[in-house]
Amino acid sequence: MSVKVETKPSTQQSRAGRSNIQVWVQKLIAQRYLQVMALLGVAWMIVFNYIPMYGIIIAFKEFDIIRPISAAPWVGFDHFKEFFEDDSLGYVIKNTIGMSLIKLVIGFPLPILFALLLNELRSMVFKRWVQTITYLPHFLSWVVLGGIMATWLSDVGIVNKILMAINVIHEPITYLAEPKYFWGIVITSDIWKELGWSAIIYLAAISSISPELYEAATIDGAGRGQKMWNITLPSIKGTISILFILAISGVLNSNFDQILVLRNQLNETSSNVIDVYVYQAGLLSGRYSYAAAVGLIKSVIALILLLGANGITKRLNNTSLF
Amino acid sequence: MFSAKRQSASEFTFEILISVLMLIICFITLYPIWYVLVNAFNDGEDAMRGGIYWVPRVFSLTSFRAVFRSDGIMTAMWITVAKTVIGVVVHVFFTAMVAYAFSRKELIGRKVYMLIGTITMFFGGGLIPYYLLIRDLHLLDNFLVYIIPAAFSFFDLIIFLSFFREIPAGLEEAARIDGANDFKIFYKVIIPVSMPVVATIALFHGVYQWNDYFTGMIYMNDMDLQPIQTFLYRVVAQSGSNQMLAAMPSGVSVSVTSQSLKLATMVVTTAPIVIVYPFLQKYFVKGFMIGSIKG
Amino acid sequence: MSKTRRLWTSMMALTVVFAMAFSLAACGSSDDGEKTTEDKTTNNETATTTDNTDTATTTTANADEPGWKADAKDPITFDWYINFSWFNKKWGGDATAEYITKKTGVGINFIVPAGNENEKLNTMIASGKLPDFLTLGWYEEGVRKMIEGDLVLPLNELADQYDPYFIKVADPAKLGWYTQADGNVYGYPNASSSPADYEKYGSNFTSNQTFVVRKDMYEAIGSPDMSTPEGFLNALKLAKEKFPEVNGQPLIPLGLHEFTETGNYSLEGYLQNFLAIPQVKDGKLYDRRLDPEYISWLKTFRQANQDGLLSKDIFIDKRAQMEEKIAQGRYFAMLYQRSDFATQNISLYQKDPNSAYIAINGPANSSKAAPTLSGPGISGWTVTLISKDVKDKKRAIEFLTYLISEEGNKDMYLGEKGVTYDTIDGKDQFKPEVIDLLNKDRAAFDQKYGASYTYWMLMDTNMNLAWAPPSVDPAKQMEDWTKGKSISMSEFDNLDAPANSEEGIAGSKNARSWGKTLPKLILSKSDAEFDEIWNKYVAERNSNKQDKIDAYRQKAYETNVAKLQAFNK
Repeated sequence: MSVKVETKPSTQQSRAGRSNIQVWVQKLIAQRYLQVMALLGVAWMIVFNYIPMYGIIIAFKEFDIIRPISAAPWVGFDHFKEFFEDDSLGYVIKNTIGMSLIKLVIGFPLPILFALLLNELRSMVFKRWVQTITYLPHFLSWVVLGGIMATWLSDVGIVNKILMAINVIHEPITYLAEPKYFWGIVITSDIWKELGWSAIIYLAAISSISPELYEAATIDGAGRGQKMWNITLPSIKGTISILFILAISGVLNSNFDQILVLRNQLNETSSNVIDVYVYQAGLLSGRYSYAAAVGLIKSVIALILLLGANGITKRLNNTSLF
Repeated sequence: MFSAKRQSASEFTFEILISVLMLIICFITLYPIWYVLVNAFNDGEDAMRGGIYWVPRVFSLTSFRAVFRSDGIMTAMWITVAKTVIGVVVHVFFTAMVAYAFSRKELIGRKVYMLIGTITMFFGGGLIPYYLLIRDLHLLDNFLVYIIPAAFSFFDLIIFLSFFREIPAGLEEAARIDGANDFKIFYKVIIPVSMPVVATIALFHGVYQWNDYFTGMIYMNDMDLQPIQTFLYRVVAQSGSNQMLAAMPSGVSVSVTSQSLKLATMVVTTAPIVIVYPFLQKYFVKGFMIGSIKG
Repeated sequence: MSKTRRLWTSMMALTVVFAMAFSLAACGSSDDGEKTTEDKTTNNETATTTDNTDTATTTTANADEPGWKADAKDPITFDWYINFSWFNKKWGGDATAEYITKKTGVGINFIVPAGNENEKLNTMIASGKLPDFLTLGWYEEGVRKMIEGDLVLPLNELADQYDPYFIKVADPAKLGWYTQADGNVYGYPNASSSPADYEKYGSNFTSNQTFVVRKDMYEAIGSPDMSTPEGFLNALKLAKEKFPEVNGQPLIPLGLHEFTETGNYSLEGYLQNFLAIPQVKDGKLYDRRLDPEYISWLKTFRQANQDGLLSKDIFIDKRAQMEEKIAQGRYFAMLYQRSDFATQNISLYQKDPNSAYIAINGPANSSKAAPTLSGPGISGWTVTLISKDVKDKKRAIEFLTYLISEEGNKDMYLGEKGVTYDTIDGKDQFKPEVIDLLNKDRAAFDQKYGASYTYWMLMDTNMNLAWAPPSVDPAKQMEDWTKGKSISMSEFDNLDAPANSEEGIAGSKNARSWGKTLPKLILSKSDAEFDEIWNKYVAERNSNKQDKIDAYRQKAYETNVAKLQAFNK
């Protein structure tokens, strides 16, 4: 049906404006089901995302919860100024971006690699077991896990015991008290917790690949490594690109729960990140306007990063969000 | 499998290497969970002394008994199951439907729709306007607050999109020639061939629904409508409100939760969702697609 | 085919219409929402007048008879918000709650936030609709907000209209203290002690602030004096030498409260109280932090760290880790609030009374003055307010009257006669099996009996003295140590500016700067480095509106003093 509609314009091009609208209307009628399906989603977003968005303006006001937003006095860019003038801003930004970038470089490819390797296992039973086990830590709550890690990483904890037993260190170290270990602890524990979980989406993508492709390659005499490189990886390229774009746009986000339980006043200089800063300087004392201002800065940067990353991947390998 | 005979020695070594690597990964992942279990099954007071690494020192079910004895835990469990099941069905179906419409290149206004969606991923009005919205929609103290505001996610839509794009165009064409409309194509053709991504999003959203304590905490005053995670959060988080310590008289019983009780609560509240995965796993297994194309 | 198609089309159309209507409704009503808050005051007035006529027809208010008795036959359930996430008891299922519901006809549905209390409370305040009753710490910003936002009802007006008996049972001093600038009282405190209470019960008043040591270790090193810097350091050193390990793990010579982003409770007011540093000099608030005695003791702690007597753990441990370590008896000494480790201390005591912690004389100033510990004050601990949206104003104030009365307190503390308590030896007290469970398993006690102020919202800790069982060791020793050293610090309550004000913002910034400075001071390598960090902190603070903050506090203090004097006459 739609095929027919699309061919029409070329024959009637000479009749300009009015018929263009006609064509458009016809096309619209032809895709009415699609439009309804799409508009339902748009309507949902208007209600649940766009209506509350008026709240953004409190970033430019001094909002007090006992008065409606419309009654709050305007303060212009005062909150933004306060944020940029904060002494701790330097290391807060450094920590936020630093940890995110390392996570991007190490934490992003690892689940892909893991999924690819897992896919190479022949034994279906073993494969399933590995999948199930590695996905378990995702369910441990950071609040609880943080407590366990504090015990393990203390001077008498299991980490020191192991490292001293194998002679890596000779004096116990109180890891959480030293700023220099903090990033490592956060990144390692994050990868540990989310490796199996993050791999699921790649495993799903891999399982969508048509087996015919592999059969053809086998007939051509391709080895396992070649198949992985020439079939599996290109087939999940789209998924990888999209998740990568989303990850890039999230560099200003941190795992708030995780950092909140692991941070303390001694590792402050390498543990304070934007989200924690906003929590302490804004939300804890009910300064919603200040929190909104910092949130707005983050949002704008994230959107720019997303569009940038999207443009780059579009040019590089022709996959993009839109 | 038929290629097993032709497997070269190097490929065999490769297989062994991955297997060993996987075993190591499994051990590293499993150990902390084991640690959680043995400490949960240990006597709470004794566990506080630390040093329990492999087996419970004083085996005890007291912590688990205490969890099941708590006020309202069974109601909370049912609420969670209900919101997870209903929430997943609604979310997956609705998001996939919108995603399918968005995935069709000829959709008029597609770019605008995508832009509208993209903005939602980054900009939000914050908690208070959202709370007022939920109140005005009469969703406060209403079970539907778990379902309707969670029915859609643009992030999940993007994931659906990336999978839908890989579907061969021939499938839809065949259905269209049979006279099916777009909605019918969506649920008769697209959904069945997209089971891996449907299962993935179902899992993601199911886990989100299961783990979400915030909705229950903020929008529910009726304790009987609160989910199990809100319950868990109360036990484990126990902020203790350590500000103004001096103001609190010493006679008040601030129940101190032992680490064992926290762990036991976590085990009880997460075990059901953890068990779901093996059942969904078959959708992540190779070869599903070809079946539906041929069938 | 076409049939199903039509069906689908119409269903779709319906859904779209529904969705649009839905969004329109949302637009419309969100505007309404804002209006409601604006029109609140007018609404409030009309509501009051209608209710007024209402009650006139039912029962007549009477100042000599508690109103709750007359209305007890009508069951009612109030929503009651408790701003403490650790409060995990439901109303009912225990002897006390069932007895009270039977007696007064009132049931309660508790609303307790899980996790972040402020988030929940603030959203409710912003929405303009609150549960019937609310209980929160008097020090919370939320109290001020609810009053300013006209979200709660004046108790005095409620009492005048519906239950004059309230005025009979309420303590005029407490009402005076909580009277706002508009002449109304919006909240009633619990655990509050007025100056008159001090005269009556003062010698029995205890404080939570203690300096404790492990009894066996302390005696093994010869029970030295730890009140001087030298004695303090020496004792820590002796303990560390004599007991390098506890159960195979290193001894932690000194334990403190958690270091947070705004400092450390043990090393601030707590230590200043031990050093008896005055809060006020010649009517002016005194900045205790700048007191030389205090600074010299901070330097003592710095010295302790330099001598290896402070463990790194104390800077990073959170409450959960501390509790574990206390249970293991790994601290030698602690500057730690006694109620925070009562459970652990009992279990240490049960294993071996000598391994438990005991209170001793802690850091003192150079003139050896007795500590001035923070005792009960008129502010109390929490305040309970009644929302303007309350279901039934009359029943609400009547129930509040009941709860603050002696009868209500007795019911909340002792429960039902014959069930949880009896008159034994001429004194009303818990039955033996009840007190046994109370001492052994508080959680089980709460579930089964619900007495002994399981529901503490309006407890009166002074009335309670008549029924409370004598305390036993190990708690008794610590309580006794604080007796006579506890003073009221009411006039210094609530001095800080609102968080959103200029002074409030600067104040919280300075507090966070202190939170970063304090560990650096203790960890500094020499007294010179300490001074350098200290001077930098003071300079930073002064350049960030400290004078304005001080001025605000001074004014608030003077208001407090005036209030206290008013009802002291």
